[in-house]
This record gives sequence, C-alpha cells and structure tokens, in this order.
Amino acid sequence: MQQLLNGIFIGSIYALFAIGFTLVFGILDRLNLAHPAVFAASAFVGIELVERGGLSLWAALPVVFVFGAVLGLVIERLAFRPLKGRADAHFAGLISSIALAGMLIALLQWRYGPDTRRFPPGSFPDTRFEVAGAQVTLAQVVILAVSLALMVGLTYMVTRTRLGRGMRAVAENPTAARVLGVDVDRITAVTFAISSALGAVAGVLFAINVNTAQLGMGSAIELKGLAVIIVGGMGSLPGALIGGLVLGLAEVFAVQYIGSSWRDVIAFGLLFLILLVRPQGLLGARKVREV
Amino acid sequence: MSTPILSVEDLRVSYGRVEAVRGVSFAVEQGSLVTLVGANGAGKSSVINAVSGLLRPAGGRITFQGRDVTRTPAHKLVGRGLVQVPEGRQILATLTIEENLQMGAWHTRGTAQRSIDAVYDRFPVLAERRALPAGALSGGEQQMLAIARALVAAPAVVLMDEPSMGLAPKIVDEVFRVIEEIRASGTTVVLVEQNARRALRAADHGYVLQSGEVVHSGPAAGLLADERIVQAYLGIEGPPGQR
Repeated sequence: MQQLLNGIFIGSIYALFAIGFTLVFGILDRLNLAHPAVFAASAFVGIELVERGGLSLWAALPVVFVFGAVLGLVIERLAFRPLKGRADAHFAGLISSIALAGMLIALLQWRYGPDTRRFPPGSFPDTRFEVAGAQVTLAQVVILAVSLALMVGLTYMVTRTRLGRGMRAVAENPTAARVLGVDVDRITAVTFAISSALGAVAGVLFAINVNTAQLGMGSAIELKGLAVIIVGGMGSLPGALIGGLVLGLAEVFAVQYIGSSWRDVIAFGLLFLILLVRPQGLLGARKVREV
Repeated sequence: MSTPILSVEDLRVSYGRVEAVRGVSFAVEQGSLVTLVGANGAGKSSVINAVSGLLRPAGGRITFQGRDVTRTPAHKLVGRGLVQVPEGRQILATLTIEENLQMGAWHTRGTAQRSIDAVYDRFPVLAERRALPAGALSGGEQQMLAIARALVAAPAVVLMDEPSMGLAPKIVDEVFRVIEEIRASGTTVVLVEQNARRALRAADHGYVLQSGEVVHSGPAAGLLADERIVQAYLGIEGPPGQR
C-alpha cells in the first residue's frame, strides 16, 4: 500500500511534466527539449523563493507557475519562432531548444553552484495521515492534489474553452485556423507558456517530494518524459497522465521487489513492452495528425 | 461610381522567383458579386490569398473599406469583415460542426451564439448534426459548413475560392443558390471559379485571368456574350469541378 501511494505521488509528477511536454507536440507538432531545463530551473527557483523570499512551500507554487509561463514565452521566441518558416523547422527546433536548455542549465550552475540544494529546515509541515496502514505526508497529498488539479484544468481548457478550441484548430490545420481569423503566432506562444508553466510546477513538486534540487534532474526526467508521452500516444493528454502513473508505479515496485539498481530496467522494459503491443501508444490516434 | 468596398491595384505575388500574379487590378462595388475566372494556374487563388492576408504580396496595393490592407495579416482582416471560404473547404474534421461554427465566430464573441443559430436556420442539415465531428459530413455538406462558418463571422465581403470544386452537379447547383442568397442578403461576394460559365452567369462583373494577368474584364453578361472570349478562355462546358 505504501509503495502504491509512493508510486502514485511520483507518477503524478511525471504525468504533469509529460503533459506539458506532449501539449506542445500535440498542438504544434514540435518537441521542446528545453522543457526538462524548465523543470530543473523551477526547482531551484522554488527553493530560493522559500529560502530567501520567505514564502511558504504553497505560496511558491503559483509564483513558479508564472515563472514557468514566462520562460515558455522566452523559449518560443528564441528557440522556435525564428525558425518557423524553415523546411526543416522540426529538426531545427529540436537543436535550438537543446541549445537553450544547455544555456539555462549553465545559468543555474552559475547562480546556485554544482551542489544539491534543499529546502530550509522546517519548510515542511509535520502533518501526517494514515491511509489504509500507509503513512502519507501533507506534502505528498498536496503534490497529488496540485498535479491532478492542473491536469483537470488543462483538459477542461483544451476541450471546453475558446482558447482550447483555437488550439485544437491550430493542431489540426494551421492554415484553416488562419483563414478563420486565428492569430496562430499568439496561440503558439500561449501553448508554450502553458506547457512550461506545467513543467515548472512539476519541477517544484519533484523537489518537494524528494527535498532536493540538482542540476541533473532535468536530464534525469527528460527520457522518462519522452518515454511517457510516446507510450501514452504522442500528443495525447490523457495518455501522458496514464503513462506517467504507469512509470511511477513501475519504478517504485521495481525498487521494492527486485532492487533499486533494476529500477530503470524494469520501468523502461515495461514501457517497451507496451509499445510492442500498441505501437501507436496507449491512447494514440495517429490518424488525427495525418490529415 | 461610388468608392468600391474592395479594390486591388497592380497586385503582384511571387513564389521564389516565379511570378504567379503580375499586376492584377480589379474593383468590387459594395453589394455586388464579382468573379475571377480562368484556367488552373492562372493565378486566381494567389490573388484571393493575397487579398485575404494569407500571402504577402510582392507589390501593389489592396484597399478594403477605404483602408490600405496590403500588409494586414489574415487574422486582423477577418475581424474587420473580410472573410474567406478557402479552396478545398478546410473544415476542421476533428472538431464538431458546432465547434467549427464557433471557430468561424472567433472574432465575434458577444454575438456568436446568435449568428450560429441564424446559420442553423439556414442550413438545417448542420443543425441536426451539430455535435458530430465535421469529418463525418459528405463533401457537399462540408462545403456548406465552410460557407456557413464564414457567414458566422458576419462578413462585409466573402471571398470564395473554388466553392464548386469536386462536387456533384446537383450539389454545385445548391452551392450557387447559396452564393446568390448571400449576395441577395447584401453581402459582397468575390468568387473565384474554374467553372467560368456558371460563375459569370451568377456574377455582375467578371475578370478573366491568364498567366497572372487580367486579359479581359467587364459586365459578366458581356463577357459571356463575347464568342471570342468564350472560345479562347472559357472553353466548352465540361463537367464542373474536375481536376
């Protein structure tokens, strides 16, 4: 039971990270490889907000959300927009976003040094709950609640609001969207902002979960995030949610029953198996993209 | 003559080094139906896309409602009432019919639902299936949706690019009936068609394009009556919409 809960907590963070990742891919057909750097940067910024800014853990979350959104706008403006007219825009965007990620990580190292950072002592509330015999901290409950709320909110936004309709129109057919009067550049920028805001919150939640932020945390989650969105079905939001939870649970149970050095073998092996059975991913609908 | 609602002077459009439109001029009076006809590759669609702001002209001047809109992007023109029904319909197949119409009303937030209801009255087929994905409609119905979607934007001028393309003759009749209704309701229409005779019969004024230039223009009836023009540019009446 304890492991099941731990798997869900870490899985919900993976899912939140992956949903931001897959949002940009699903709507704009671009992979933003600066997304993991946003994740890492936000963890450090979150810790600094608590340490120096004197904010509580929870007050830091909305600030980091906004920080992520702004970072998303910068990434779109610097790494994607200048390349959008090119025939190889897809590939060029991959490279330029990797470059931007590298710069972002270098900035972090300059600002915070190479060492692991932690929240100041006493930042975590002591409240604990007992759920079916398992120990759960208030921080973990909040992690789950925040990730779920953001994912539900995003889904509502995409499926029910005017902005979401515009995003889906751009995803299906950018030319048609322009004909209808949609400012595609603006939708693109907003999509990046939302995506990065989610990645940023995922970064702080991750830092809260393990009480550490490291320069390498972005690259550690990068491959997991990619695996999750491929397994979930590229561009599928619910797919990324399920994929994230599956990965989180697989990791935790692998550690519990087989040994921690087998964690990635088991977790990625499972994702590989899923892809063998369903090459399009769990909820992938490749047809949509090939209109 | 009053000031035209839309006028195009010496329009040039290039794709790389290829000049697709080489100095086209025409004027559209408020409330009229003007057609640009010509063979495939004559530059008709390039003219339409430049006027609607989807393409950046290489030269010339486009004036809409007295304002220079030569470099105004499409998303701003739609809000001002210059709306295109694009070639190949470009409906959003994965969105529902209702969502497609809501997308048409992107710039008219306040009155969107009222204009969508008005469009449903006019196209009952769409009303019945509003919750279905637009991809489930037949080709003719998709064309009706594309037209309906433009009407939701409450346009002053509708630019229609090959609305009869690929449709069965019976559906083509229906499309032209709708076009004439739109015009009768006071909306100005610019119609680009390969089906030249059909378009000229519906239009007040016509321009014949060839290789990116206007080679003939005048009242539509006059163009249709001129044997030489019909022979040289309009060809024999074939099945509509072939490609």
